Amino acid sequence: MLRKQRSKATKARREKSLEGQFLSSLALSQQRRYLWVKVFGVLFTLALIVQAWMLAQVFAELALQQRFSMVFLGVALLAMLVRGLSGFVRDGLSAAASREIRYTLRARLITTLTALGPARLNIDEDGGLSTRIYEQVDALDDYFSRYLPQVFMVSFIPCAILVTVLPVSWVAFVIFMVTAPLVIVFMIFVGHKAAQANRKQFSVLSMLSNQFMDLNQGLAELKRLQQCEQAKQRLSVSASAYQHTTMKVLRLAFLSTATLELFASLAIAMVALYLGLGLLEALPWQLGSSPVTLTQAMFLLLLAPEFYLPLRQLGNDYHAKQKAEAAATDLMEISQFTEKTTLEQAAPWAEKSMGYKQANQQGGDSLISFEGFAWQESNRTRLGEINAELGIGERVWLSGESGVGKSSLLHVLLGFEKGYSGHLAVAGEDFRQLDLKAWRQRLAWLPQQPEWVNGSIRRNLLLGIEEACQEDVEQALKDSQCAEFIQTLPDGLDTKLNEMGGGLSGGQMQRLAIARALLSKADVWLLDEPCSGLDADTAKAVLATLEKASKGKTMLLISHDTHPIPWADRHWQLNKGGLYEAEQQAIA
Amino acid sequence: MKQSSKLSLKSVILAQPMSFIVPVLLGAIASLAAVVLLGLSGWFISAAGLATALGLALVFNYLTPGAIVRLMAILRTAGRYGEQVTAHNHLLGLLRTLRLWVWEQRVNQASADQSQQAKGDLLQRLVSDLDLIIRWPLAVFLPWLYASLAYLGVMVFASLIDPILIWPLLCGAFCHLIALPYIAGRQARRAVHIGQILGTHRRSRFISFFSALVTLTIRGHWQDYGARLKELDVRQQNMEARIQKATTTGRLAAYIVTIGLLFSCLYLLSVWQNGRFYLNEGVQGPWLVGFVLSILAVNELVLPLIQCFVSQGQSQVGIKRLNQLCQDHELKDQPLSAKVETIELQQWRGFHDATGLGNEPLTMQVKRGDCWWLKGKSGAGKSTFLAALAGDCLSKGEALLNGQTIDFYQHQGARQVISYLPQSPYVFQQSIGANLLLGNSKATEEELWAVLDAVALADWVKTLPNGLNTLLAPQGRDLSGGQGRRLVLARLLLRKAPVLLLDEPFDGLDKQTIAHISHHLMGDFKPDILLLVSHVSSPLGEQAKVVTLSSDS
Repeated sequence: MLRKQRSKATKARREKSLEGQFLSSLALSQQRRYLWVKVFGVLFTLALIVQAWMLAQVFAELALQQRFSMVFLGVALLAMLVRGLSGFVRDGLSAAASREIRYTLRARLITTLTALGPARLNIDEDGGLSTRIYEQVDALDDYFSRYLPQVFMVSFIPCAILVTVLPVSWVAFVIFMVTAPLVIVFMIFVGHKAAQANRKQFSVLSMLSNQFMDLNQGLAELKRLQQCEQAKQRLSVSASAYQHTTMKVLRLAFLSTATLELFASLAIAMVALYLGLGLLEALPWQLGSSPVTLTQAMFLLLLAPEFYLPLRQLGNDYHAKQKAEAAATDLMEISQFTEKTTLEQAAPWAEKSMGYKQANQQGGDSLISFEGFAWQESNRTRLGEINAELGIGERVWLSGESGVGKSSLLHVLLGFEKGYSGHLAVAGEDFRQLDLKAWRQRLAWLPQQPEWVNGSIRRNLLLGIEEACQEDVEQALKDSQCAEFIQTLPDGLDTKLNEMGGGLSGGQMQRLAIARALLSKADVWLLDEPCSGLDADTAKAVLATLEKASKGKTMLLISHDTHPIPWADRHWQLNKGGLYEAEQQAIA
Repeated sequence: MKQSSKLSLKSVILAQPMSFIVPVLLGAIASLAAVVLLGLSGWFISAAGLATALGLALVFNYLTPGAIVRLMAILRTAGRYGEQVTAHNHLLGLLRTLRLWVWEQRVNQASADQSQQAKGDLLQRLVSDLDLIIRWPLAVFLPWLYASLAYLGVMVFASLIDPILIWPLLCGAFCHLIALPYIAGRQARRAVHIGQILGTHRRSRFISFFSALVTLTIRGHWQDYGARLKELDVRQQNMEARIQKATTTGRLAAYIVTIGLLFSCLYLLSVWQNGRFYLNEGVQGPWLVGFVLSILAVNELVLPLIQCFVSQGQSQVGIKRLNQLCQDHELKDQPLSAKVETIELQQWRGFHDATGLGNEPLTMQVKRGDCWWLKGKSGAGKSTFLAALAGDCLSKGEALLNGQTIDFYQHQGARQVISYLPQSPYVFQQSIGANLLLGNSKATEEELWAVLDAVALADWVKTLPNGLNTLLAPQGRDLSGGQGRRLVLARLLLRKAPVLLLDEPFDGLDKQTIAHISHHLMGDFKPDILLLVSHVSSPLGEQAKVVTLSSDS
């Protein structure tokens, strides 16, 4: 609850900060690792300074005395090794943190999608969801493994260097002190510019990819229209145009980075000039004496580039942040449902329904009963009020305009949606208290597009069924009138299906779904427009099969008025106001 | 790039040699300038210090080295800028070339495979593969080249100090430029490869399982299937960890090599005496300082190489996958007359390559002016029959067009005379007008409105604020099924091809609209030959000859 309120409060702010919040809340889970990353970052910086100091000693001795001491060289090389090692540990830790964050997030998102069930398709189709779950989650990698650790280094290294420079030379300190804020201001400016350029470029690039994808998907059509050459021309022209405009943008973006580089180089050159003149005792304000020793000069020279390096690197990593924020937008869309589902589970309905449960303990032979059942979601009515009962063995035809929530009703019965108000009971027991697993075992689900996994017909028929003998399978195939066409398939029951069905017609797929329902021994069948994709003749034939096959089952069948179900025991009509019993004869 | 040539990393570099040379030269200058800058300033300061110590400060010429240092600083910045700009320009040009190459390959491919590819995620992968490959020169080849050049520069410098330094430098160069990238790349290659395969596998398993999510859940078996998804994820995570380990270990090894290199260079130039190293005769301290600093500069260029070569594996996998597209497909093309008098089919059947499903062999004769209504039960292969006539499916038996034997699948010219409306036609993500113009690019605006009227869409388009210029969503998602189909029908009518094949054109349309379209198909837009598959009755069907496809074996 708290989290939700907080996110509501910040909604007024820019969208970007929401994504930033999402990312940092993810990083929170790896706090310990990131702490160690910082510790090794400090070690890295210390090694850097020690290395510079020791090398400076060696250099000074080399230049002035043509010799060097073993100790200084040894410590310098050792410091270099420590630097390499702490870099090694840091990289390993941040990569591990990033992996942990991403794979946990992915598992969480998959769980959310699973809990959403059919409603997941409101977010995106399965192909799009898989892109989010895999590609988009991986797009966060650079942010967590590079950008985030670097943010610390960017402030720590320059500060550490400033502190060590101060006792050595106040002039160098002033040069660093003055240039650093300028560099940072400039960085922000450049970063902003680069971000804009990047965003622009990104949108143009995705447009170009879209065009390429679009033309490729329609390639068969283009070939039929004999427009392949023209399409190629289009591709070529737009790619050239893209090259032209992007180069304009990039030239500017790179120019600002180059100016920054020049700025850093100039600062280093200033330090070097000051040191050189100082050593020659030729500084205008200090003729005849040197402000620094050779060792100190060397030390400053070695540190100067290191002072600006992290800033420049952060500039390079900036697009990692952008990429992550773009991905975060897509992921948050799924993630917000996680909060919602957990909120729903904690909802304070339990008391009321307990009372209801006792009152209705000995309900008659009605299997499913709705009482004052309705569903409001964010001020939108998803289902009007329903008061109805469905008896055991009754077959009910449910019709209504599209958008009044027919499918939502089935999703509730499937146990995927709990946001309703009022009461829903199964065999007298409140639905929220129900043993969902046992209830679902009794269900068969036949949607518009039957559900298939990649694999043989046999595997799909037996999906989730423990044991079934060959006779059962054959009987089910016969009852669903599948036996006929399965015989004509070269591989029979072992013919491979993919998620699109693979060569079978719509009617055949629905028949197979009926066979599966029969095999599962489910006694409650929920059907969501099983005939909507079929032509009239096929639909009639499938419905006829359904009539025979579903005898004795309790059934709720959604079908448009264009495919009437005359053999249904009752006809329910759903509209925005609620559910009404319709005269069955009038339609039949 | 030649159309049919296989791709390789080499051909990617050589694709546009002229535009590649400029960034290479600029980058080389910038990298060398960076090394010289650090080396020279080291020498400059130590020599200045030495001069003062020797009392020669007044005669020390600090102007020339100072000027060179500044020149190098400018060269480094300007060179880097120029390299980035030209290299990206090259990269974009490469993207264009490669995309067109892929396009050519796909155009030359057999139609049956294409529909398969268009459905899966293959296209998405193609696009990301291309992005991977074009980055290769910029991300792998150029950094390696610059590091090598920098090493070469340092070697020249070293030979001026003492030729003996060449040997440790050669060893260092071998380790840094060849051995370490190779070993790290090799260590990671398998993991990269497996990781990519796992990635594809994971995705298709995800889609397969999720498309049956509700059934699996209510059967209580989602747990098992979810665990199987998780298992792939865990394996992927391990692969990722292995790749990362190879990279970071490689970097550490490169560090150690640099340390060894520094030590051995200094060791070779000095003698151990009284607890100190004394430089050999003839070796000047300031120069040596410059030398050590330039090695440190080279180290900065070398470190990123390891990472580069690990990611090279990805480019290679990408290239391999793209090459699978590469096929030499011979296309027969005899000229056909623009008129179609007769089509004769003898024991002819169309079928799908993958399943072999299709219609039963059929013999029929179609003459100019004919209109046929194909009937048959669901599963009789009506759609496959039409698709095979349009050249989208394979066929068996004999077919004659104007008395000449013809293979619709192979013959590209047949498409000139045949227009085909499939059951789920493709609407492009372009404007309504542009979609129509694909039928006939020379059509006038009046003609466009005429065909839109013929399919009863004109009134709808007029209500749109942008009219013909309305941009459609990807795959025409913002159109209803009926609208999309009619829009494509309008496009076909613009072509005025003599043969028109319509697969369920009236699905989901009301009677009035069906009558309207039928009227135009029998009147001003009447093709020479029309074959119709429809389960809806229509005025068009009523006046047509009927042929029934049997579904008995």
